Amino acid sequence: MARRNPMRDEVAIVGLGSTEFGRDAGGRSPASLAAEAALAAIRDAGVGKQDIDGVVGALEPGAPRANQMVAMLELPNVTHHSSPMPVAVFGLVDAMTAIFSGQCDTVLLYYAFTRLPWNSRSAAQDPFRRYIMMGGGTAQPPVPEAIDPSAAYTAWAARYLHEYGATREDLGRVALNMRANAARNPKAVMKKPLTMEGYLGARMIRHPLCMLDMDIPVDGADAFILTTTEKAKQLTPNPVVIHAATAGMVGRNDEDQLADLTRHGQHVVVEALKERSDIWIDDIDVFFPYDGFSIITLGWIENMGFCKPGGAGRFMQEHWDDKVGAVMIDGRVPMNPHGGSLSEGASRGTGHLREAVTQLRGDAGERQVFDAKAALIGCGGFFFNSQGAILKRL
Amino acid sequence: MSEAIDDEALVQRFPWVQITHDSKHLYRGWLDRQLLINRCDDCSRFHHPPKPICPECWSWNLTPTEVSGRGTVHLAMWLYQGAPAPGVDYEKGPHPVVAVELEAQPGLRFSSTVVGCPVEDVVIGLPVELDWIDRYGAPFPVFRPRAGGAS
Repeated sequence: MARRNPMRDEVAIVGLGSTEFGRDAGGRSPASLAAEAALAAIRDAGVGKQDIDGVVGALEPGAPRANQMVAMLELPNVTHHSSPMPVAVFGLVDAMTAIFSGQCDTVLLYYAFTRLPWNSRSAAQDPFRRYIMMGGGTAQPPVPEAIDPSAAYTAWAARYLHEYGATREDLGRVALNMRANAARNPKAVMKKPLTMEGYLGARMIRHPLCMLDMDIPVDGADAFILTTTEKAKQLTPNPVVIHAATAGMVGRNDEDQLADLTRHGQHVVVEALKERSDIWIDDIDVFFPYDGFSIITLGWIENMGFCKPGGAGRFMQEHWDDKVGAVMIDGRVPMNPHGGSLSEGASRGTGHLREAVTQLRGDAGERQVFDAKAALIGCGGFFFNSQGAILKRL
Repeated sequence: MSEAIDDEALVQRFPWVQITHDSKHLYRGWLDRQLLINRCDDCSRFHHPPKPICPECWSWNLTPTEVSGRGTVHLAMWLYQGAPAPGVDYEKGPHPVVAVELEAQPGLRFSSTVVGCPVEDVVIGLPVELDWIDRYGAPFPVFRPRAGGAS
């Protein structure tokens, strides 16, 4: 199927705003965090209430819905609003398509995260977040045997190790890469240096994945302002445009029924992106493979085409920069320079998106990639939320 | 037979499951200790979890069909923490969770736990057969290792 991409480079990101990310925001609601990020992004973009006619807010547990955000900011003329599922690129795609189609001109896109009562002891003690649950349903899988979207990554990680003879060290390199990079990101929650011994000795949660294979829950929020590239040129000297963005899914996506590791959502994303893009892996300056679970990162490295299936561990080893303590592909391209979900915090891909824009603007400080022009994001996992985006400096 | 149990009674027997009109046959089967997997009357394909139509040929003619539950562990993990359940004590050791590829059809999998062997033995490739335990006062399908292996 030849895929069209009339939206190529037509929609730009012109505003960024974030809260601090922390293990505990201390007496603040997700709405408060979302509002802080939104205001920062709006001010960064230099737009006002009258300009924002689209609002897209990810359906994160406890986060304000788009209509609630509109009410908080009293935006007077909103012609597009939606609350797409996590993870981050669903919202990006929705905002992009709404702007390109003319449903609206300028979108506030936001994501707010809050630690859930079941994944944090201190969160469980906060009476105002006891009602907040993942997916709006039950707080936990009803039985231990439910291979829910989260546990399924462990199940397929076991299959990956079995089929390719990979080792826990291969997964561990993902964790080490993120931790080393996080040290250069003031926002990151986990900065304490990590060694392979430390990784291998970490508490087992669901064998074969340990605590350090799983992203770290945080309180925080990210927000973005998007508009037409035409308008962006008037607003900012350094607009970052969406070259291509897509979701991807296969038919058999029930977590335990996935045919195998060689054909799932990530493969659909990669095919769609390649067909819609002039830019591919040899042309990028910074790479953002999602790391909600370490196994997902191995999947993106392989499925994007950096190496063969089963080879991501060796690939990371071959491209390891001992001085940086992390991967530098061909000595040049870092992987999640902000520390990813494993070490910056579990922002379900918005950290990747924010860092991509920050790098392309040249605002990344000591972790700035020299002359970064293009970024590749592989967001989400294998089942229902695989997605990807290519961003570039205009 | 449990067909006699009305929907209200079925929900009462499985208060921890969100049963739908598409999955009610599966749970009625559990009460009779039968593993009933949706099979298409037109193209013969099994599918799971239960859907209102056959995802292969889009036929509405589905029959919940008993399968033996013999199969091979395809995905395996050991939970060191997780949702509570009677008889599951994470303090005493990890709880195995598996997706078993059923003999009934390649790629058709059913997820549960494995009983009757040490957790260390629950690995990908283990040949298993169906068994039943009690979970909150109702039968619950599980697997146990089967002798010989080769089917």
